[in-house]
Amino acid sequence: MDGVTYQRFPTVKIREMKHEYMKFELRETDASIANALRRVMLAEVPTIAIDLVEIESNSSVLNDEFLSHRLGLIPLVSDKAMDMRFSRDCDACDGDGQCQYCSVEFLLNVRCEGDQTLDVTSQDLRSADMAAMPVDFEIGRGFDAGGYDHSNDKKGIIIVKLRRGQELRLRAIARKGIGKDHAKWSPAATVTFMYEPEIHINEELMETLTLTEKLNWIESSPTKVFDIDPNTQQVVVVDPEAYTYDDEVIKKSEAMGKPGLVEIYAKDDSFIFTVESTGAISAYQLVINALEILKQKLDAVRLSDDTQENDEQFGELRQHMGGVS
Amino acid sequence: MNAPDRYERFVVPEGTKKVSYERDTKIINAASFIIEREDHTIGNILRMQLHRDPNTLFAGYKLPHPLQYKIIVRIHTASQSSPMQAYNQAINDLDKELEHLKKVFQAEKIRIENISL
Ligand SMILES: [Zn+2]
Repeated sequence: MDGVTYQRFPTVKIREMKHEYMKFELRETDASIANALRRVMLAEVPTIAIDLVEIESNSSVLNDEFLSHRLGLIPLVSDKAMDMRFSRDCDACDGDGQCQYCSVEFLLNVRCEGDQTLDVTSQDLRSADMAAMPVDFEIGRGFDAGGYDHSNDKKGIIIVKLRRGQELRLRAIARKGIGKDHAKWSPAATVTFMYEPEIHINEELMETLTLTEKLNWIESSPTKVFDIDPNTQQVVVVDPEAYTYDDEVIKKSEAMGKPGLVEIYAKDDSFIFTVESTGAISAYQLVINALEILKQKLDAVRLSDDTQENDEQFGELRQHMGGVS
Repeated sequence: MNAPDRYERFVVPEGTKKVSYERDTKIINAASFIIEREDHTIGNILRMQLHRDPNTLFAGYKLPHPLQYKIIVRIHTASQSSPMQAYNQAINDLDKELEHLKKVFQAEKIRIENISL
């Protein structure tokens, strides 16, 4: 009311950013925010995917529904998905779901004439809308921030193989959707976060160990977290994030009769995220869109004015009646 | 076919309120908020944000059943506040935090792009 706030101010550090991959640190917030962000990236950031297929002719070895399913799973460039309408609440086409505001039309028309097996791929999909092509179709996006040249791998995603005389003719409608509805709409390949570990070596106790004991102890960790400093022969932490919270070094210390050699905590306000996108949108855009969607979701759960007014009246009524019974 | 609508899980049916409010009849300053078509994503961030409010004596949420697409957030506050006030405060604070995060992300992107140039 009077300007009180319990707001936090998280910080972010991007470690690596490519078109389809990003690694970043999120600090000064709690696991609920980190998890909400992860959940929204996986299931609630919209993309477009093929949702309706009209098969005109199919003499391939795969049946119609098998093909339709495969078409649905092809990731499409979805940069415009945030601004598109869901067909279910599009008033321009009355729920038909086939107008320019809520859909993209694709045509596929392939026939094998030669003796060689013909691969039908996502490259064979034809669309009037260049902004919604299959992901590896990308033209002109040659180099991304990571300096990776995409122009060499435009082989496309294989849909079906045809032999001489077989053909496939169809019309497909791609619509906006979310991963919660069907995984084909999920823009995320993987989204994970880990708690940043804090590792304290008890130097005094560690120095009571012989070099071979130290090496044995270091070896007890399944991942390379510790090493020996070649100059001082001290045990040092080389890669705290390699620690998988497996407790092996702690068990080893106990087995060696030296409990407390090392103390490891998971910082509860520091997270290391790994985001991989399908290519439908960039990994960076995936995070930004997830934040936007989460904001929209919060906005939707605000109390309506009439709910608040009803309660105020109830409060007054209660006062008239002489307080709580 | 009796298959339910595909989007029944996340679209609030017509005539249903997104959020309804139920005052506790026995305890003052306690109430439940029934939020339609939401899950742990919203439930947990709201709960944790409410815990940051010193006027909140209790805040919890539950997903009553995996096939009932709603959550119930229960709030009990001290007398200087009210469940509604705490609920609104939590949403406002979370909204500001996310807006802040978005700005921080955009600035960080520009920073690392300048480094790699
Ligand atoms: Zn439409």
